[in-house]
Amino acid sequence: MTATDLATTAPVARTGLRLPRLFGIALRELRAGLNGFYIFMACVALGVAVIATVSTLSDALRAGFERQGEMILGGDVTFSRMHARATDAERNWFQARGRVSETATMRTMARTLDGNEQALIEIKGVDAAYPLAGTVDVEGMPFADAMTSDGGVVVTPVLLNQLGVKVGDKIRIGDAEATIRATLINEPDAVADRLTYGPRVFASLATLDKTGLVQPGTLIRWRYALKLPPEVGAGRDDLAAFRTTAKSQLETSGFIIADRRDPSPQVTRTLDRLRQFLTFLGLAALLVGGVGIASAVATFIDRRRNVIATMKTVGATSRTVLLIFLIQVLAISLIGVVVGLAIGLSAPRFLIAFYGDALPIKAELAYSLGSIVTSATYGLLVALLFTLWPLGRAELIKPSVLFRDEIAPERVWPRRGIIALTAVIAAALLGFVLMMAESMRIALYFCGALILVFLVFTALGSVVTWGARRIARPKWPELALAIGNIGAPGGLTRSVVVSLGAGLSLLVAVALADASLVQELTGRLPQKAPSYFLLDVPKNEADDLAKIVEREAPGTHLVNAPMLRGRLVELKGRKAEEFKPPPEAQWVLNGDRGLTYSDTLPEGSTLVEGDWWPADYSGEPLVSFERDLAHHLGLKIGDQVTVNVLGRNLTARIANLREVKWESLTLNFVLVFSSNALKSAPHKLLATVSLPEGTSLDTEARIGRAVGKAFPSVTVIRVKDALNAATEILTKVMVAVRVAGAVTLIAGALVLAGALATAQRRRILEAVVLKVLGATRRRILMTHFIEYTLLATVAALFAAVLGALAAWVGVTEVMKIPFTFSVEAVLRALALAIGLVLLFGSLGTWAALRAKPAATLRSE
Amino acid sequence: MEPPQVPEPIIRLTDVRLNLESRAGVVEILKGISLEVPRGQSVAIVGPSGSGKTSLLMILAGLERATSGDVHVAGRDFNALDEDQMALARGEDIGIVFQSFHLIPTMTALENVALPLEFAGAGDARERARTLLSDVSLAPRLDHFPAQLSGGEQQRVALARALAPQPKLLLADEPTGNLDGRTGRQVVDLLFGMKRKSGATLVLVTHDERLARECERTIRMADGQIVADEQAVVAA
Repeated sequence: MTATDLATTAPVARTGLRLPRLFGIALRELRAGLNGFYIFMACVALGVAVIATVSTLSDALRAGFERQGEMILGGDVTFSRMHARATDAERNWFQARGRVSETATMRTMARTLDGNEQALIEIKGVDAAYPLAGTVDVEGMPFADAMTSDGGVVVTPVLLNQLGVKVGDKIRIGDAEATIRATLINEPDAVADRLTYGPRVFASLATLDKTGLVQPGTLIRWRYALKLPPEVGAGRDDLAAFRTTAKSQLETSGFIIADRRDPSPQVTRTLDRLRQFLTFLGLAALLVGGVGIASAVATFIDRRRNVIATMKTVGATSRTVLLIFLIQVLAISLIGVVVGLAIGLSAPRFLIAFYGDALPIKAELAYSLGSIVTSATYGLLVALLFTLWPLGRAELIKPSVLFRDEIAPERVWPRRGIIALTAVIAAALLGFVLMMAESMRIALYFCGALILVFLVFTALGSVVTWGARRIARPKWPELALAIGNIGAPGGLTRSVVVSLGAGLSLLVAVALADASLVQELTGRLPQKAPSYFLLDVPKNEADDLAKIVEREAPGTHLVNAPMLRGRLVELKGRKAEEFKPPPEAQWVLNGDRGLTYSDTLPEGSTLVEGDWWPADYSGEPLVSFERDLAHHLGLKIGDQVTVNVLGRNLTARIANLREVKWESLTLNFVLVFSSNALKSAPHKLLATVSLPEGTSLDTEARIGRAVGKAFPSVTVIRVKDALNAATEILTKVMVAVRVAGAVTLIAGALVLAGALATAQRRRILEAVVLKVLGATRRRILMTHFIEYTLLATVAALFAAVLGALAAWVGVTEVMKIPFTFSVEAVLRALALAIGLVLLFGSLGTWAALRAKPAATLRSE
Repeated sequence: MEPPQVPEPIIRLTDVRLNLESRAGVVEILKGISLEVPRGQSVAIVGPSGSGKTSLLMILAGLERATSGDVHVAGRDFNALDEDQMALARGEDIGIVFQSFHLIPTMTALENVALPLEFAGAGDARERARTLLSDVSLAPRLDHFPAQLSGGEQQRVALARALAPQPKLLLADEPTGNLDGRTGRQVVDLLFGMKRKSGATLVLVTHDERLARECERTIRMADGQIVADEQAVVAA
């Protein structure tokens, strides 16, 4: 050996450990590879990918919406109002400010000339200036030519099938005969004039006039689109200023104003809500994945015990150890986040390419920094939340483990500082969720439910382990071994119960909420809901209508009520815009609502506060308000509310509050006025027709035709068709929700796979020992089967209870509909749980069964 | 005239006891150890398995806390230090060599030796580590991982790592226990050679009487107590 010159080496300059060097040590220490971290990364990536996909997709729709705002709206700014066409003064006001286009939309019936076929349509009367933005794509004849031809209409192709007619044929709309000149391919402002029930029919305003449908009181929406000159309407600020001026100058007109920046606040709100809901599901997946993250880190730390102890013997402090491993965990989380972001940012491109046509607006892919930061923040916060605890244990590993083997890792609590930091991160995550949430209340419900689910399943895991240790071992050896495994220290029980349980709870909750909604829409309603709604029934023809219905189907229950549409403009003397009610009550203030008047309490309502006015009441206008909405808006008896009806403000005092059963689909209104308030306003009636039970489809069709022939202006809406349309939309939304919900289960499955992989070595050794002791493979297989089935069953049963509880709260508190329990949904969850555990478990069991005793024992 | 100042011994243990909890109850591991070791001395601790020699070494390294008694090592009162202060003390003044080397498997020989210097914040950690490794004749093996080194080479890396922060006290637990006779001999030569050069105090735990004889002093333990304290006839 050469002589050393250590003694002469200059003393070591100790300057303290700097961050770059810590990074170096941390990365060096990671050279062993990412084995054991793939589940960790997959869990982070999955959750981040869901959140990023949802955000990017919603950004794309939002961007498309904003960029195409002018086209969607049909101009820079629109003014719309029910019933009343613009007065000359209002028209002059519009014309003085830019190019104007006037349109009128309403629901009515189209019939064949012989009256044998009829269909509900949504007719749109347009002037020559329409559309101010975009083009109407048609097939057969240029749109403008079709509109200027005498009695020409353009129809959606589906109407041709419904009525059995073709282009060139004549159909009857109201009192007029119209000729189909072309078929509609694309309507630029379709989103702004939402279609709900029937196909679109375009006609000129002159043709619409000839139908005789435009009567005082008809449910018709007049819309004025304005194209502003560039110096007024170019910038977003200019638009805002213009809107403010318009609002003040047309204050009592009752117009609803929209501009191209947000062409349909309702669509925007729906998008926001869907985004929030799907983000919640992504977050749930992340949190379920958190269990996998925590267990991956715990396993990793366990394998690094000697390394940590060695570091401490050569001078590393607890803080240094914590930082080194924190850097590693953060680096791994970052890889997960980056992978998740890459998936989340590219998935929308494919989704738009494949499903873009199904959307009402053209999505324009736009990557916003906000969405990227949000998704990454969720990923990192959750990763930190679940890793700090096991890292906190790592820093407490004593260097003495190098000298003394410890039989089982000590279950120590981390330092108080780490516990506090974990709490701070949990609070930060909660704060972030609430900050990003559209509805604080729903976000709180969601977070509460998640915390409950985690607490219950963590506790359940401990209880099951504890119970398995104490239960008397049965004589059947397979069962005894399975129970022994469940109770074994370091066993699978906790991770399996938590990961599977949390994922399944969400799936059960979604399935049961879905079942309740579908039941509400399809199962429960038809028995008590009316068969038909009749719109625009002239007041003086109500008796004739009743006679016809009674003649065609004796025993039919016909109810009618005056129907006007108006908008709440002032509450308690304050402008409606100034009110910020919770989201579930916001709709009352958003647009126009159906209004009615009555001398008596309407059917389907219950008086809960105050008194109903006498039949011959003639004092100041009174109004009855729906109780829940009144509470949300802070209204009580005696307060004044102002509605704009037919372009005029009507102020009334709240006389009483009613409870309304909306789901009954009978004639229900938020606002019911005293008769003297509205009787003299021009209006028509809304009627419901409830056919006697067992009425044949033929009779139903006969009544429809008879009513159609006798009252051409009356619009007939079949409730079943309307419900089917709603169910169809709901089904599509629920598919998206189920897919997103399934992601949570995938996260659960990942965690499960991770937990089983961790236990693999122990499983193999155990199988080998059993073989040595004379156990056949069948016996080992049976032991595993029993263990997995028991665990999955316990997790699934609790998941069913918790999921049902969450669905019950969601359905009754948020959606406000009755809860339906579906045994099928619960059984499906149970089957899925057992299937998943057996699938992943059998992979491990296969390896365990194949292990050769001699080779395994030698390597131990 | 004042009497000449006697230098403070590097180790001073007074009535040190160590009790450990076990499932069977409390086990007395060390039963009142008192010991002083002057600076620069080489001391062998010998005794049968379970006599408490490794536990004594752990107390000297600050890896285990005495149940009672005073522990003063390298000018520090270990009873007054918390766990992190003890880690820092090890980083500055105590180097440890283990029977099973305990190198970090994911780090090269150079990185393993540099690690304590990096923890201490030395700017020239790598240069020093390189010099030390060449001092133990491992210059061609700098970038090898522990799995690529023989047992003797691994123990030489461990020795270089223990000496890297220029410790005042070098503790070795059965340093040749996992090595064959010839390789063990080389490591022992190196250990003593480097101890001499650095002037550090060496305390080693061993079963090997021949190795013990190379130390200036041998402490014999049995049943948690010192049963003999022998000064060698010829200083090592």
